[in-house]
Amino acid sequence: MKNKPIIELRDISKNFGDQQVLRGINLDIYENEFLTLLGPSGCGKTTILRIIAGFEEPSNGQVLFNGENIAKLPPYKREVNTVFQKYALFPFLNVRDNVAFGLKLKGLDDDIISQRVDKMLSMVGLKGYEKRDVTRLSGGQQQRVAIARALINEPKVLLLDEPLGALDAKLRKGMQIELKKIQKEVGITFVFVTHDQEEALSMSDTIVVINDGIIQQVGSPMDIYNEPEKRFVAEFIGESNIIEGNMIRDCLVKFDDIEWECVDKGFKPNEEIEVVLRPEDMDVVDVDQAKLTGTIVSKVFMGVHYEYFVETSYRKYKVHTTESYEVGKEIGLTIDPYDIQVMHIS
Amino acid sequence: MRSKKIKIGAKLYILVCFIFFYLPIAVTMFFSFNSSKSLTNFTGFSLHWYSKLLSDQSILAAVYVSISIAVFATIISTILGTITAIGLSKSRRLLKEWLLNVNNVPIMNPDIVTAISLMILFSSAGLQRGYITMLLAHVAFCTPFVITSVYPKVRSMDQNLPNAAMDLGATPYQALTKVVVPLLKPGIFAGMLLAFTMSLDDFIVSYFVTGNGVSNISILVYNMTKRINPTINALSTLLILAVAIVLIGMNIWPVIKEKRKNKLTASGNAKPRRNSRKREKVTFWSVTAIITLVAVVCAAQFSTIANKQTLRVFNSGEYVDMSLISDFEKENNCKVVYETYDSNESMYTKLQSGSTYDILVPSDYMIERLIKEKYLKPVDWSLITRKDAIISDLVSSNEYDPGCKYSVPYYWGNVGIVYNKNIVSREDLEEGWEILKNTKYKGQIYMYDSERDSFMIALKSLGYSMNTTSKAEIREAYNWLIEQSETMDPVYVGDDVMDNMISGNKAMAVVYSGDAAYIIDENDDMEYFVPDEGTNEWCDAMVVTKYCKNMELACKFMDYFLDDEVSKVNTEYIGYDSAVKSTFEYFRDVAYAGNSGCAPDQTNPRNEVFHNQSQKTKEYMSNLWTKVKSN
Repeated sequence: MKNKPIIELRDISKNFGDQQVLRGINLDIYENEFLTLLGPSGCGKTTILRIIAGFEEPSNGQVLFNGENIAKLPPYKREVNTVFQKYALFPFLNVRDNVAFGLKLKGLDDDIISQRVDKMLSMVGLKGYEKRDVTRLSGGQQQRVAIARALINEPKVLLLDEPLGALDAKLRKGMQIELKKIQKEVGITFVFVTHDQEEALSMSDTIVVINDGIIQQVGSPMDIYNEPEKRFVAEFIGESNIIEGNMIRDCLVKFDDIEWECVDKGFKPNEEIEVVLRPEDMDVVDVDQAKLTGTIVSKVFMGVHYEYFVETSYRKYKVHTTESYEVGKEIGLTIDPYDIQVMHIS
Repeated sequence: MRSKKIKIGAKLYILVCFIFFYLPIAVTMFFSFNSSKSLTNFTGFSLHWYSKLLSDQSILAAVYVSISIAVFATIISTILGTITAIGLSKSRRLLKEWLLNVNNVPIMNPDIVTAISLMILFSSAGLQRGYITMLLAHVAFCTPFVITSVYPKVRSMDQNLPNAAMDLGATPYQALTKVVVPLLKPGIFAGMLLAFTMSLDDFIVSYFVTGNGVSNISILVYNMTKRINPTINALSTLLILAVAIVLIGMNIWPVIKEKRKNKLTASGNAKPRRNSRKREKVTFWSVTAIITLVAVVCAAQFSTIANKQTLRVFNSGEYVDMSLISDFEKENNCKVVYETYDSNESMYTKLQSGSTYDILVPSDYMIERLIKEKYLKPVDWSLITRKDAIISDLVSSNEYDPGCKYSVPYYWGNVGIVYNKNIVSREDLEEGWEILKNTKYKGQIYMYDSERDSFMIALKSLGYSMNTTSKAEIREAYNWLIEQSETMDPVYVGDDVMDNMISGNKAMAVVYSGDAAYIIDENDDMEYFVPDEGTNEWCDAMVVTKYCKNMELACKFMDYFLDDEVSKVNTEYIGYDSAVKSTFEYFRDVAYAGNSGCAPDQTNPRNEVFHNQSQKTKEYMSNLWTKVKSN
């Protein structure tokens, strides 16, 4: 699938006044992929999207589209379309005219426009809503109009700026699946901006984690979750225990004065590192079977599992398990070698 | 029980409010159908004033000026204001706040200040005053209103909407016209409406910045108030009707639109969009057509003026029969640019501010001043064939311009008291001016709201000259007036005195002789009387300014009004005593025979003519007069 990049960001930086929002972004976006820009608010992910769309000009760097620099091309000349955060539908036009907006500008025949609008509306499941006033639609319906309005122009890349942010949890799940389906159907690149890690993990082919104007990690959802390379990524995506320690040698790490087998290689002998332990990867066993022991100090029921805090002689660990234990009980903890993720200190 | 009471109270309250709003309008409309000239006495139904209105070129021209200026000013200021508001929303915060405050200044500024500043600006820029200056001024005061009504809409607009349009392939211009403008439409529309009404309503600014005979409805009406007649009512009625039709249309239009929309949705989906496009096109072209039409008419009007000889006449309002002006134009194949003023003083101010005219018609003391300040050119009497038609005394023995070197007498008269024969006794009249202080007639007196004439009465009554410069004498006169105001409760009125006296509202009024003649003609109970202590004997005359380049035409014009036939028609309209001997005698002996207001006595040696006052005396008297009126 990853054959040829359609968009390449080369050393992009952006300043607003004396505030630096983006610092040297380098990113390749491939054809047909669902790429998510993930990060906390204010990290610069929307700015990247706006630079690709043409609403902002980068202070530095190049935006290559099929190898051509488009950094200074106005938005109406770019082969990308955007779905805006609050949809930005035109309130004075009905559903049909909103969707037909781009085609009308191109001066197409009314008949052709009609055909394509009908097709697009049935794809997003809004057949029969043509004459509706967009301001009277529900959030989900407005969302679909926004998507139809963008896709009808047959862009090479669709940009989506936190499009599900305004929907309630249930609708959101439905739209996530639908968006993925639409992307498969039209077969173009989607660049999706969100701050919701779950959304990112469930929809993306590629996730780009951004913080403070810098790309932290690029990878598949599995890579990002299981093998965070930086403390920020580990903390931002999923829950984690992060512990300082030393890499004794390849595949052997020491923390909390205990040596653990692991699968990580390529560190200097005795290098100071950080270890990421996902709470669900910590197994509760009897005290005499464990290298690490502690006392349960709190217990919260989370639905599928319980969340415990376990006090050891070095620190408190967060542990997720479906088994129920009483507060005050002394337990042992073990970790499988492949569940230990070792990171360079950033 | 109680709630019912409240309901009735509420309804009554609303009723009273509506009566308060609409009664004046109703009265105005009612009297537009009056068969006689009176504004208070309904004598019968007639459409006379409407036919007069429609045949009056100056009124039609004013309507045209008002509407075309309003349309152009609205279009220009709406475009300017909208663009500014959009630009403003994108500028830096400090600049934005600063500009918005600056924008509020013209709105808060009193109109008169705006008017005078614009007048000075146009004068110093050397712009010839007229249609263009009026349009510029209207654009200037309308634009801030558009900005204030559009700007909040721009601010509340989702900034992503224009971006969305560009994202979908719209150029910045298309984004503006297809998305931003439709979004701002309510604000733009409100601003447009505001601009249009402000422009149509405006009097003060227009009055100061216009010139060359261009006047709008409000200026015309203001100058007409000198002699209110039901033509104004007819004009007002038509305007009210137009406004009502527009309002009703605006309320009904959305309903019709909604209905039509429903019909279209019922009849199919594909067609209506084409229709809407078609309709858009139709609206666009019809608006363009209207604008071009107005522009062409406008240009045509200007070009006809440019091609003919023109004469710029500046006269007091309602001081000529306009049909005579049109006749003169036809006879001499020329264009008379006719403008009016409301007092000698405002005429002088306009002259000082750089307005240029060929002919003025000031009063005696003002002529004296204009001669002294070298505003006038001597009249070329060799070009005036009817010199002998003028009453010789007016030429030879006048004090403001002995021998009439600079002036051609127009109308003359004096000041006296018009009284109701059935109320005021002959004996009391023997008191002279003192009758105005006779407590028998307390609350029965109209005084004329004119500073010099009022002081004239007091000074004459005290036996002094009305041209005195002695502060002590003026002070004494002031005490006389104060005493009169305290003991008699007089009402100080302007030209409405005529209508009030025709209706017989009070027993006595200080009036000009010509006005008295008119009152007596309309009401047989009235009589005119001039006290023996002497009075103001005034004369208005036509003069030629130093700016006049066509003395021949100017003299033709003045000569024209000395013609017996012309001056008869004119006198019929104006009602004062003509300077043309044959006309004067005709009215004295035939038309107004027995009317005591006509042909007043000129032989009393105690009568005087006003002389121009020094600035100091004028200010002194003016201050005292304000005190009298506020007493």
